[in-house]
Amino acid sequence: MAEVLAEGYNVFDTAKSPSGTIKYLSAPADVINLIKSGKLQEHILLVRGGTTTFLAPALSMGAIGVITMSGAPESHLGILSREFQTPCVMTAYLTDSDSRYVVGQTGDEHFEEIAKALDGRKVRLDCTDHEVGRVVADD
Amino acid sequence: MTAPVLDKTDYDVLNVVALKKMVAAEVVAADTGTADVESVLARLEERGLIVVAAGAAFPTDDAEPALAAAAAHHYAAVREDAGLAPLVDRFETVNAQFLTTMSSWQQIDVGGRRVTNDHSDAEYDGKVIARLDKLVQRLGPLLDALAGHDPRFGAYPRRFAAALDGIDAGRHELVSAPTLDSVHNVWFEFHEDLLRTLGRARVE
Repeated sequence: MAEVLAEGYNVFDTAKSPSGTIKYLSAPADVINLIKSGKLQEHILLVRGGTTTFLAPALSMGAIGVITMSGAPESHLGILSREFQTPCVMTAYLTDSDSRYVVGQTGDEHFEEIAKALDGRKVRLDCTDHEVGRVVADD
Repeated sequence: MTAPVLDKTDYDVLNVVALKKMVAAEVVAADTGTADVESVLARLEERGLIVVAAGAAFPTDDAEPALAAAAAHHYAAVREDAGLAPLVDRFETVNAQFLTTMSSWQQIDVGGRRVTNDHSDAEYDGKVIARLDKLVQRLGPLLDALAGHDPRFGAYPRRFAAALDGIDAGRHELVSAPTLDSVHNVWFEFHEDLLRTLGRARVE
């Protein structure tokens, strides 16, 4: 069985299982550059939070999958991902790390650890479970 | 050297670009009522606050700090309005209820499992719409108070009313469609606008 790199909340059940190289987006400029590059659909997008509002253009331009490191499925981004039917794993954590996101108590190192481990990895999202969304190695 | 604070026209235009994240010039003109929006957008692009790509304006990374600095200047009186604070605190509660309601529009509970709402149950949908309507009405006092400081806030009640009228007329896509001026989009923009106006951070 393929290695599960990270798990989080599955925003909605879907048989869609997008595959792509993870791209960490830290600022609006990253989103604009990705859209301009014409390679949006080659990537699973990794962002820090469910309130990362700069991701909206990427979703409307056809992003194939999203992973967040904080935030709840009820948040704005969760609502948008269901509207666009873009598979989305929220508040993902690394399965080989003990670090977990806790609202208001999580330092930068938690996010940096995840971004460092996942950015550039070829993965597939498994969003078939009604609670857990999985980021599976696909390289 | 610190860049000069955006004047109110530039603020209003950049604010709309930042709220919508990706927007055509015509929409900005319609939303702000700015006569020569093209020259304002050109000026903002020259200052590195927006980029134009794929026929739309996007905010750059410098847009938020510039807006924050200008909001502190233009909305100093709003921030000192003691009457506003309790209304804003109430908004946070209403906002949480709104997000839950929006999720219950998209998904229904079947035996403890959330599944996509196929909108075949008109009674269920009707109840969610009635709840949304009530939540929008609860924003009334806050919107009125803000419009007393800056008339541009008067656009929100008009946009909410247009979306709700459309829903009443059977256009249910106006509840949450991200590509229309839906209740969810208007609410989301208002929330961001409110936080920026008051200089508050978003709660995760």
